[in-house]
Amino acid sequence: MSDNETQRRRPRRRTGEGGRRLHSAGAAIVVSLGGLLIALLLNAPGLHKSATVQPEGWKRDTALAVTGPLESVSGALLLDRPRRALKAVLGRSDDDRIDTAVVIAPAPEEPGVGQTPTPPPKREKFSPKRALRIWIAGDSLVVVPGESLLRAVAGNRAMAAGRIEGRIASGLERPDVFNWFRRVRDEMHAGQPGAVVLMFGGNDDHGFMTGLPEGARIGSFGSPSWQAEYRRRVAGIIDTVTRNGAFLVWIGLPITRDPAQTQRFDTINAIVQKEAAKRPGRAAYLDTYFFFAGDDGGYSQYIADDAGQLVKMRADDGVHFERPAGDLIAKKVLEHLEERYDLTSWRR
Amino acid sequence: MLFPTATFAIFFMLVLPLSWLLMPRGERWRPFIILASFVFYAGWDWRFCFLLAFSIAWNQVFAIALHNRRDERARKWLLASALTGNLGVLAYFKYYDFFVASTNNLFAFVGVDVPIETRSIVLPVGISFFTFMGIAYVVDVYRHDFEPVGFGKFAAYLSFFPHLVAGPIVRPGELIPQLESPRDPRYVDTSRAFFLIGTGLFMKVVIANYLAANIVDEVFGAPDQHSSLEVLVGIYAYSVQIYADFFGYTNMAIGIALLLGFRFPQNFDAPYSATSITDFWRRWHMTLSRWLRDYLYIPLGGNRGGKLLTYRNLMLTMLIGGLWHGAGWTFVAWGAIHGSALCAERWWRERPGFVERPWTRGRRAWHRFCTFQVVCFAWIFFRSDSFADAWDLIERLFTAWGEPSPLVTGGVLTAIAVGVGSQYLPHRLPLVIMARFSRLPVPAQAAVLSLALLVTHAMGPEGVAPFIYFQF
Repeated sequence: MSDNETQRRRPRRRTGEGGRRLHSAGAAIVVSLGGLLIALLLNAPGLHKSATVQPEGWKRDTALAVTGPLESVSGALLLDRPRRALKAVLGRSDDDRIDTAVVIAPAPEEPGVGQTPTPPPKREKFSPKRALRIWIAGDSLVVVPGESLLRAVAGNRAMAAGRIEGRIASGLERPDVFNWFRRVRDEMHAGQPGAVVLMFGGNDDHGFMTGLPEGARIGSFGSPSWQAEYRRRVAGIIDTVTRNGAFLVWIGLPITRDPAQTQRFDTINAIVQKEAAKRPGRAAYLDTYFFFAGDDGGYSQYIADDAGQLVKMRADDGVHFERPAGDLIAKKVLEHLEERYDLTSWRR
Repeated sequence: MLFPTATFAIFFMLVLPLSWLLMPRGERWRPFIILASFVFYAGWDWRFCFLLAFSIAWNQVFAIALHNRRDERARKWLLASALTGNLGVLAYFKYYDFFVASTNNLFAFVGVDVPIETRSIVLPVGISFFTFMGIAYVVDVYRHDFEPVGFGKFAAYLSFFPHLVAGPIVRPGELIPQLESPRDPRYVDTSRAFFLIGTGLFMKVVIANYLAANIVDEVFGAPDQHSSLEVLVGIYAYSVQIYADFFGYTNMAIGIALLLGFRFPQNFDAPYSATSITDFWRRWHMTLSRWLRDYLYIPLGGNRGGKLLTYRNLMLTMLIGGLWHGAGWTFVAWGAIHGSALCAERWWRERPGFVERPWTRGRRAWHRFCTFQVVCFAWIFFRSDSFADAWDLIERLFTAWGEPSPLVTGGVLTAIAVGVGSQYLPHRLPLVIMARFSRLPVPAQAAVLSLALLVTHAMGPEGVAPFIYFQF
């Protein structure tokens, strides 16, 4: 082979800044593809969980079909060990665990004919010496009203609130994404809050649930079987809170830019409202629909406040809240809390 | 379609080999990359693909018209029309509701009811970025700095997916010449590409998301609930979060473009090591700074009209730059703080008898410290939802010392230290790492890449938070 031929077939080695070698496009493809494939095996448990918690549909089915066997191969080759070790070092060993158990207490028996329903509890008094502990939790929608509530609570030392637990993409349909049934039970036992503010449902407007009782099946969103199961879960959460002696304020879902979504939210709101109404004095439902409807009754991002000033209430995504909306909801939540508890007489 | 997701990984693993396969035939490669970019953009909302197509057509039509006309008066009209179209679209989608609400409120203040209603408009992702690139193209053609290219090349330039949704803002002269000739498949700067993608992922997924979840969102959400120390650390944490978020995103964008054979300009150069605000703007979001300088500050007159006019131009540029980031008065305040600081520095340097003192280590450290404090102070307004929130935070910074600070953890302080400390590393260090990586055999490079992905994926929180700059 002549020198010319050699030069033509094998490109001269070129270097970039700092003496680094430049590689062929083929090498770039091989390294990218190879690196991703090995990373798939190393991260298989996490990827399988990510696939599991996806919304229902062909993407989820495909992802599960790929990540399921991948996780098995990864486990067999012990390639999942480095990730598990790393998670253990970070104190997050449970990250890859998929927990779908809907652990709720059985529903209380309805009072029979002639029986009197349980009377609402007495109006308890709180003061800075014995402050009402408030726990705020829910999906991402709860974050902004929760922050407003924290600011409002800061002005009254008879109340104390910790961190807001707002979990993105979570809800009551999918305990695999985040198991609120377990979390609420744990918080009620460990934290023993006197008041709980919850907001769920923003991610529950689908016809797919995990953690169904053995052999149970549900129909599409809003179908009687779906409603029955969702009602059971809502009631379970309410009972977990109220049986531990706490007062629950459940913030209803707002009107959204998408009318179809608003309609689905109405279905969820109706269930929550009915369940809360069954437990007077123990749980309250806060209807937010009319706070955020425009003059024509439809969705509006800007709403006039008491002073007539147009205020941006809703985030650009057409679902989440802006700060003034959070302040409005927090004010209404406080009204419910003050109705249930005496939080101001200590000032006199 | 976000970069650090499985969907994007699959998309890119299809696009990368096909792009190189088609690269030698430009007439096939360009339609392919345009199609791929539109598919990428449709991942957010397919309806906005029409908006992107409109922006391409609008700017190309005016660029050709500007190139063909010789009459200066007609050219000025054409330029004004092109800019009106670009800014009109941006104004409608990004600022319509903001201006309507502001106007209504202003008139309501004096008791006049204005019958204009807000429209709850959805903001298309990346509109500010591709609008600025379109403006750069027509203005460059108007100035005879650049000749218009064919429709396919321009469409590929404006829609090229690595820069499409959050920059960097690449100028026509930087990218279009690269699109005109096939990239050489024998020499790809793979080690730099993987280094940028790896560091970008780490900064975004680990540092930015960790700080957001563990201190920033809580402190800015309800400052009254936090101690002064938490507020102070929260402000520093936000300054690191926004840097890690945007630096991480642009690093990934530059690295992805490099793997496809294209070079993008650098967007950050250790901004928190700046010794003045003027220096900061040479290092922070550099492609936006250049755009503002060349297409706004200089057309306004730059520093050619005397001191007062220069100050006015600086202030206007920074106020508009602030508003570009978001439709809110807090962003304008952020721009005003930076504009005032730039004016003050200019005044200081230009005052009679001023002599630049030599840079000692102590003086440099002091200037860096002071600059960082001003930048962090301005970030308060950038991050706060309203002036009331910003004032609450500032007040809390001084009134709650000695209270418990559970959010100030070792993890938070480490993440801040990594974010700030990374900007003080010797410039040679990344070069050495990249050179060593480039000398590894291909399988070893794949193994290193996979380990980096393992660490990032394992350390990052579950799910992927959106990038801050997408909203701009």
